[in-house]
Amino acid sequence: MMAYSEDHIALAAEYALGTLDADERAQVETMMAVDTEFSAIVRAWEYRLGALNQMVGTIEPRPIVWENIKAAIANSAASQARPSPPVEPVAETAAPPVVAETPPMAVEPSTAPAAGHSADSANVILLAGRVKRWRSIASVATALAAALVGMLAVQVYRPEVLPEALRPKPRIQTVEVRVPAPAPSAQYVALLQGGPGAPAFILTVDAATKNFTVRKVGAEAERGKSFELWLISDRLPQPRSLGVIGGSDFTARPVLAGFDAGTINGATYAVTVEQAGGSPTGQPTSAPVYTGKLIETVPAAR
Amino acid sequence: MLTPAELVWLLAAVAKGDEIAFERLYTATRAKLFGVVLRILRRQDLAEEVIQEAYVKIWNSAGQFNPALASPITWMASIARNRAIDVVRKKSEVSIEEEPTAMEVAADSPDPLARREMTEELKRLLECVGRLEPDRQKLVLLAYYNGWSREQLAAKFETPVNTVKTWLRRSMMDIRECLGL
Repeated sequence: MMAYSEDHIALAAEYALGTLDADERAQVETMMAVDTEFSAIVRAWEYRLGALNQMVGTIEPRPIVWENIKAAIANSAASQARPSPPVEPVAETAAPPVVAETPPMAVEPSTAPAAGHSADSANVILLAGRVKRWRSIASVATALAAALVGMLAVQVYRPEVLPEALRPKPRIQTVEVRVPAPAPSAQYVALLQGGPGAPAFILTVDAATKNFTVRKVGAEAERGKSFELWLISDRLPQPRSLGVIGGSDFTARPVLAGFDAGTINGATYAVTVEQAGGSPTGQPTSAPVYTGKLIETVPAAR
Repeated sequence: MLTPAELVWLLAAVAKGDEIAFERLYTATRAKLFGVVLRILRRQDLAEEVIQEAYVKIWNSAGQFNPALASPITWMASIARNRAIDVVRKKSEVSIEEEPTAMEVAADSPDPLARREMTEELKRLLECVGRLEPDRQKLVLLAYYNGWSREQLAAKFETPVNTVKTWLRRSMMDIRECLGL
């Protein structure tokens, strides 16, 4: 068995973390291709760090993504089956420029988003008319649904590719209806710890909604006691209770809405042990057992 | 969300070319993978391209999945995330942050998977991340969740790139030691 230097191992770890530059990534990929043991080290790091993705919220991609995946797979199957050139991607050339990057393809009615149909019918009809004119695809109804999703989403995030007449004034971005297009808003995480070592709670704050969630990781309250979460800020005269936590594995609340962003970001979050149901006085009655500060994990677009 | 065991079963079926299984796999995992790559790319068009490529790769290489090494979702997320990092590194000359702020429309929903008990792997990893200096914790998490380059991290921490390099390496080695590897 080949012995790998610490340099090799660090390189594998940083590849998995994602911090290498493009050239270094290419080097690692080459090394992986020729050295299965090194490849295994890299993969092990990837899978180890991959646990972090459990903390990432889900966001639905648009239905067109699945259509494109199916088309790509059908194409590769077709090109494997026959030596002749692969079939032209459906509608690629017929598609209007606005949706050229994601050619609209027929969507099964069942996979088209209901929201796209129902919401804001005036805009939908307007856009439908335009799209219809541009396109000459037989299955109008289903393709239209897909194209509409594309149009609306394009309007939201790529206004520059729309024809002048259709370009939204900045305000019209709210036409976005319920297209599943949102990017994550800024997210902050605090590990609430009693010392170095395992966090007892993990606090996540969504900057846009100021909703917070607390995941219980290891802590178990004594019988007859409760964990209570506090916000401690030098901008506030005294700690503010954010409620009792830890009764279940997962606590979600909107109570941070009353605080401004600076206070939320700069505060110390502390957990104390209180009588069951929380402190009767509205103030902590004991010293914190776990504390932490927020770390920005997902900044808002800068 | 399906259980890991169900996903393993689906991946095995996908490896045999089962398209129904592939669609079920996609339905069960797309929102998680999309969430992961959108955070890194911060542009829906790029994220969609990456997710498409990732699922085509998953379709083609499902037979290589080894349940002894990784959970199905971790294996799949690695494929998608690697692709996203490749794209974001190669695109560094084009500023991804220039995109319109219309992206900040809505918050993402709490994830059904994350609502479950955290896995032992995550607990162990977080324990080890938690042992790093607070700044290093932040560095590692920003790098992982946002796919930030060393240059971006250096700007964020107002520190020379070489210092960030050293910190990253030291942090990863500390995590390794803490995990007992």
